[in-house]
Amino acid sequence: MIALQGVSVGYRLVEERRRSFQAHVINYIKGRRVKRQTLWALRDISLEIGLGDSLGIIGPNGAGKSTLLKVVSGVIKPAEGRVNVGGKAAPLIELAAGFDDELTGRENIFLNASILGFSRRDIEQRFDRIVDFSELRDFIDTPLKNYSSGMTARLAFSVATEVDPDILIIDEVLAVGDAHFRQKSKERIREFKDRGVIILFVSHDMEQVRSLCNKVLWLDHGRTRMQGGPEEVIAEYEKEVTGDGAVRAFR
Amino acid sequence: MVNTFEETGEILRYRELLRNLVLRDVKIRYKRSALGFLWVMLDPLLMLLIFYAIFAGLFGRSVGQYPAYVMSGLIMWQFFSQGTKVASLAFLQNRNLINKIYLPKAIFPLSVVASSSVHFIFSLIPLFIIMLFSGAKLGLNLVLLPFVVGIVFVFSYGVALTVSTLAVFFHDVIYIYDVLLLGWMYLSAIFYPVSILPWKLQVLMSFNPLYHFISLFRASLYDPSLLTAGHIFSGVAFAVLSLLAGWIIYCRNRDRLIFYL
Repeated sequence: MIALQGVSVGYRLVEERRRSFQAHVINYIKGRRVKRQTLWALRDISLEIGLGDSLGIIGPNGAGKSTLLKVVSGVIKPAEGRVNVGGKAAPLIELAAGFDDELTGRENIFLNASILGFSRRDIEQRFDRIVDFSELRDFIDTPLKNYSSGMTARLAFSVATEVDPDILIIDEVLAVGDAHFRQKSKERIREFKDRGVIILFVSHDMEQVRSLCNKVLWLDHGRTRMQGGPEEVIAEYEKEVTGDGAVRAFR
Repeated sequence: MVNTFEETGEILRYRELLRNLVLRDVKIRYKRSALGFLWVMLDPLLMLLIFYAIFAGLFGRSVGQYPAYVMSGLIMWQFFSQGTKVASLAFLQNRNLINKIYLPKAIFPLSVVASSSVHFIFSLIPLFIIMLFSGAKLGLNLVLLPFVVGIVFVFSYGVALTVSTLAVFFHDVIYIYDVLLLGWMYLSAIFYPVSILPWKLQVLMSFNPLYHFISLFRASLYDPSLLTAGHIFSGVAFAVLSLLAGWIIYCRNRDRLIFYL
């Protein structure tokens, strides 16, 4: 279960970001107040997702889609509003972020699974299943730097989906690797859906959103533009993007 | 207060990650070089050689067990300085992960300090070898060694939390800290006896945590006369203060870090 109530996330933009200590001190001495401006990445978002729901999140770049995923996964604490997330969230965001090139596939499985909060016993139990799904048994003791990018992605996908999440968070990457593995990973996500796992899916590919999601949230400049069934929301969104929006862009 | 308990609990829950991060550090550091793990022992020996060649003539007579004196000072200093120096980058270097997945962030500086203590423990081997050859005898005080390592660990973690948190907001902190360490090393009585310092500086020395740590370390190894209540009390006090300060600075900024990474 995921419930968000009036959630807002603000990035405080300093007019010119003072990363240097010196600049900070000088300005402090001169008594110049730093002008701050808040950019709301998310503004007053409320939503409720229950078991078995798959929510597609759509909208133009910079609409706050990824920020919303970060709020749900706990990376960002919102400035306002309440977040209630029941269950374990597994992010399929940038799958290989937790990998280390110098370590072997085996070592990386342990590292990456522990990043997701697993104990050693849990990882050992799942280890064979992870390796089998990735089809990388022959390379499991090879350092990751000798893997192809497809192989790395396969390994990452296998770890992230072998963790029995209650909530699966997918940012763009739905399928990785070659055609054969793509098919496998799509099937696995379907299985999750059938099992009642909540799926949050950010994508620009409306076809994928239609086929996977039963609810769609359209974000625009951090605000909810529309929320509802996939057909109606996507229809409205496409109307704006292709029809009206394109004309406006041409002028 | 709530933050404190929550974060401590989370670090415990992620202890497998802590273990893997430390293992990774140790593996990567020594896997690739030809001499492998031997370097961790050779490094302090070579350092000792340099310091000994330069300073033995000057201080060799006024300090008993000069080789053991220098070497113990050196590896204790390395334990603290290397750990905190690398830890200053802990959040910045892991920004990819911190930005994508929820983690108790305090685990990153902790893992760096923990790896540093693993290296420290290995560098005790060459130290014991040197002591064997120079005739410094290990005594019963050796049982104090875990206590000494413990307070230096706590102290280092406090400093690491402070520096790594501040470094996210002001990158300059990294460079300032580097320079600070350089000066700090010369003020820590690693290769000279405190007695050569003017009296005023000797008094100031008691405000240098590393001086107490190194003295306690030497006390546990070969010089029982250094085991004073002053060193023990100051050492513990500095460790607790450092951890407290670091933890407060970290916790107050914990949820803000993400916007600056």
